Amino acid sequence: MANLFSWERLWNIIPQLSPYLLITFQIVIIGLLFGTLLGILVAILLLNKIPILHQLLSVYISFMRGTSMLIQMMVIYYGLPLLLNNFGIDINGLDKLVFVEITFILNYGAFLGEEFRAAILAVPKEQTEAGYSIGLTWSQTFFRIILPQALLTALPAYGAEAVSCFHLTSIAFTLGVVDFLGRANTLGSASGHLLETYLYVAFVYIVISMLLRLGFYLLEKKFSFGREGVNN
Amino acid sequence: MMGFTLNNFIESLKSGLSYLPVTAKLTFTAVVFGILFGLLIAVLRYYKVPVISKILTVFVTIYQGFPMMVALLIYNLLFSFYIGPIIQFFHLGIEVREANNIIVGYFALSLGAITSMSETLRGALNSVEKLQFEAGYSIGLTKFQTFTRIILPQIIPVAIPGLINNLVGIIKGTSFVMAIGILEVTNASLIPCFRTFSYVEGYLAAALIYWFFTLLIETLLSVVEKTQKQY
Repeated sequence: MANLFSWERLWNIIPQLSPYLLITFQIVIIGLLFGTLLGILVAILLLNKIPILHQLLSVYISFMRGTSMLIQMMVIYYGLPLLLNNFGIDINGLDKLVFVEITFILNYGAFLGEEFRAAILAVPKEQTEAGYSIGLTWSQTFFRIILPQALLTALPAYGAEAVSCFHLTSIAFTLGVVDFLGRANTLGSASGHLLETYLYVAFVYIVISMLLRLGFYLLEKKFSFGREGVNN
Repeated sequence: MMGFTLNNFIESLKSGLSYLPVTAKLTFTAVVFGILFGLLIAVLRYYKVPVISKILTVFVTIYQGFPMMVALLIYNLLFSFYIGPIIQFFHLGIEVREANNIIVGYFALSLGAITSMSETLRGALNSVEKLQFEAGYSIGLTKFQTFTRIILPQIIPVAIPGLINNLVGIIKGTSFVMAIGILEVTNASLIPCFRTFSYVEGYLAAALIYWFFTLLIETLLSVVEKTQKQY
């Protein structure tokens, strides 16, 4: 009991564990980058209300919102190889990290898709008409006029999603991925002193989440160009 | 690796559903604590009660950066350290091995619910106009009377959509406790899989169960929002 916690062990663990934070960042960056791209695509497809595809997308978004990412990750990890096997594609040897990243991309594609859709709808119709009136095509109007405004509207929600994305990387270890928490588990179990490693993990997660929130707050302030925020 | 079979899927579904009470209890406890203590924290912070409100602000800000999974692992570790001495101290007369760590799940989920719901309720409190307080005081109501009779009834409809979002988050969060070995819907859905070594049915069954209940709640929310629009 007296041996539960020692500062010395904590200092020792830091250099061994910290490099694995890069794997965690990799999950966040790939998940958010491709999740954002997928989200924009989902939002465009949702707004165009293409029959059948619209229903399929609604089911996809509902599933992603209605189940936990932990279960989604497991379904993808065990289910995707089976599904692709039917088409003669063998992905059994694929790195587990890839399945985690696929889960993050699909999950954030759905969440961000919903948010982008709402943000695009919030851009006044006159903006589109103005684009057309000066001879821009649909895609020019959308990507140059509508989308930049919509992304600005979606920024606060995007910040919250980015923080939750970082938090959710903590589920990857359940699949055996050796990321920050995964490495903490193996290091802690090997030495028999899990508490120090877990406390260091918690500290790093808390500090980085706070920095992320501060970063998005400053970004919002910068891009509000002096306009008063809705919340304040 | 074996393929997907409907039989195993149905087995998993049955096994998962039989543990629905465990997940329901976890959710219910977290929601009750979340609303009670969440409201208390929101009120203490709203009225800027000296010292306490500062401490709560720091606590909520820090705890929001604390992932549920890491919290569960740390609490579970502390549980395994201290359960032996606690049993000895209170002469509970149970074996250490028999002690159920579901209390860790209750604790982690409740604390998470308290922080997230306190933020929702604080946001709702902030939406009430200052005039409402002044009106209460002007007719001679005390601070407490003004709060319970005038402010609270107004924040409930404002807070409901946010609280339901919190509730969906809590339901989804209950699946995380599988990582510390608590037998609930997710882990129970996997029981038949340990025989067949094919896990996809188990996770799909668990997903379907959670999906059904979150859909049900979201449908309820849209009904509530529609009735609210009438006023």
